[in-house]
Amino acid sequence: MMKKRDHMSITDMTSMAEAQSDLRSEINQRLERLILGVSDYCYQCAKCTSGCESHKLLELEPHQIVALLKRGLIDEMVNSEIIWTCMSCFKCKERCPQKVPPVDILFALKNLAVLTGKQVPGDYTQMLQSVMSIGYIQDRQTVPTRSGDTVKREDLGLPVLSGLQDPNGFQNIITASAVEKI
Amino acid sequence: MPTEQYAYEMSIRETLPLMGVEIVDLPGFSCCGEPLKSINQMLTLHMSARNLSIADREGIDLLVPCPMCHLALSEAKNILDGNGEMKKRINAKLREEGLEYIGKQRLFHIIDLVHDEIGLDTIRERVKKTLPDLNMAAHYGCHILRPSEMGRPVDSENPRKMEAILLSLGVRSEDYAEKLDCCGGPLLPNHPETSLAKTGQKLHAVSEQGFDGMVLACPWCQKMFDSKQTKAAESVGSRAHVPVLYLTQLMGLAFGIDDAKLGLNLNLSPVDDLGLKGEVE
Repeated sequence: MMKKRDHMSITDMTSMAEAQSDLRSEINQRLERLILGVSDYCYQCAKCTSGCESHKLLELEPHQIVALLKRGLIDEMVNSEIIWTCMSCFKCKERCPQKVPPVDILFALKNLAVLTGKQVPGDYTQMLQSVMSIGYIQDRQTVPTRSGDTVKREDLGLPVLSGLQDPNGFQNIITASAVEKI
Repeated sequence: MPTEQYAYEMSIRETLPLMGVEIVDLPGFSCCGEPLKSINQMLTLHMSARNLSIADREGIDLLVPCPMCHLALSEAKNILDGNGEMKKRINAKLREEGLEYIGKQRLFHIIDLVHDEIGLDTIRERVKKTLPDLNMAAHYGCHILRPSEMGRPVDSENPRKMEAILLSLGVRSEDYAEKLDCCGGPLLPNHPETSLAKTGQKLHAVSEQGFDGMVLACPWCQKMFDSKQTKAAESVGSRAHVPVLYLTQLMGLAFGIDDAKLGLNLNLSPVDDLGLKGEVE
């Protein structure tokens, strides 16, 4: 797996298709929608933070994220490691009395960080490369058993995975999506 | 899920046909895109829509046993059905692969399929073996619980369907304060230590409260609580000895299916302690 794209980073993929000016205008539009659309309703009750799965372990404070968004401090957040601490458990979105979704704001900020060429943390690059080449985040794994052996998918009587019917076509179409901004 | 969590798939393929569900594999299905949502939401939407459109082409409903995939597909349906402009944009991409999103398919997770469609009476009829007296902690997985505005298969704050299914198998499942908490799995790509600490905390809570084990219906959660149990416990300075298994594995055992066919040997947690094997009565 991943023979063809080992050399390619997410930054390459996100900057190869469109001019930087287009990128910037799309980002600005996105931010305006976020600020006007959601953050004005937040009255800082911090119910999101009190239930946040990442709060105790990594000090994520979703209500602060909304407050910073409200004040337009976008670049500060995009440049901060804190946006990458969200566990996407969706408790904040579920429990907000004002229907503000901090988890969705964090997804948008992470997307913006990637679009502006920030370093993507951890194994995300590897997962993206795998999806682009075989359609899954990883290839079929050999797994351990409790009795100390290892087995493969085909040893277990499971049907063969069909996989992608046209991997090259899929790759081209998906690459176009990977550089597009929602 | 099809590249690693084989026991879930094996136990689904063994149990559902016994309850009148025909399983059809769709050619060309791929990742739902949700693991890459932090990178690019457009990519996630495209990949989910692509899978939905394959189901549209085959005219078939979808069983989505992974909560994360279930949320991604539900969200894509929600966006495409509510936003004509986006549907046009996505369909233009899908057409390049000869696909089109129509949106006729219904989505099911294992829990709502068994509880709402198959029904508990059918489950009770299929039970052939009296399981030992067990009190198992139910763990649903964040993405079939929340966000409720996407129409989740179970109640977001007080889910009862898994407990009801367990009861029809003769297994008790008491409430516990941490029931709705995350397994930590989504942080595995970029904060592996914290991710394991989250898993360890919940395992610790389940042990402390005297449960015999955990039952769940999410391949990511199984990976955390079962496959990574030893490491997870170490990361919070405790030792865990918590048998963890899939709901469909427990169903299969109660139906009298041989444990090898349910992939029970793939569970790395001490499931032998539950005394689940043995002859059908």
